[in-house]
Amino acid sequence: MNGLSEVGFVALSAALLAIGLFGILTRRNFVLLLVAIEIAMNAAILNFVYFAAFAPTVPGGLSGQAVAVVLVGFAATEVAVGLAIVLALNRAKGTINVAEATELRL
Amino acid sequence: MISLAEAAFVLLALVAVVTAAASLLARELVHTIMWIAVFFVDLALVYFLLDAPFLGVLQLGVYAGAVTVLLLFGIMVTRKRIFSREAATGIGPVPVALALLTFAFVVTAVGELPGAEAAPQGYDPSALSATLFSTDGAWVLLLGVIMLAGVSGAIYLVREGRG
Repeated sequence: MNGLSEVGFVALSAALLAIGLFGILTRRNFVLLLVAIEIAMNAAILNFVYFAAFAPTVPGGLSGQAVAVVLVGFAATEVAVGLAIVLALNRAKGTINVAEATELRL
Repeated sequence: MISLAEAAFVLLALVAVVTAAASLLARELVHTIMWIAVFFVDLALVYFLLDAPFLGVLQLGVYAGAVTVLLLFGIMVTRKRIFSREAATGIGPVPVALALLTFAFVVTAVGELPGAEAAPQGYDPSALSATLFSTDGAWVLLLGVIMLAGVSGAIYLVREGRG
């Protein structure tokens, strides 16, 4: 594990989460919102990968890296659905500004 | 004396934070995609540094490859000129304060936890594949079902003749 400190990884992960949260709160463009969500999700995946090294094989337990693999798949699905919403929103409203989407119905 | 791995991590972490912030602050959406692509590749390098090569390759393939192209596609089909600028959105003090508060809270909360007793060790990719297809197999199945549901929903959303 190269002797890397856990403080550095937690700080990096927390910084990425904060940046993602900032993006989610300030951006109004749907694509930018997706980017912000991806940054925040990557912060979580980084934690799983790092702390998996402390317990690589838990008997009967889900290993951290396996969770990370599943999370990467979830994130890819989320972007695909997000893109479909972008297309539907653009077709219905002519814009991808989320402030314009005031109805659940498209 | 700082080791080579530590120096590499500090460099990669700085690049990750800078590119993540730059991607959200860029005025042109295409620049956002370029920054986020660098961010994804940088995180893949972090995974390689952590002795997690499988996750590194997955990050390169899924994030730096597929997600980046999907986001670029999202811009291309919704704009006439892809280099058009985003309207400036004000950066109020509240989101910045909330982000800083989250950062401080996570770091202090983790700092108060008891330190790890076991020394971190490397991770064998073959052990990961063994767990993915034996003990953790249900999660892979669940992932497949959720992906199928997601893709079906996406096709439903964009199909012709709706509304």
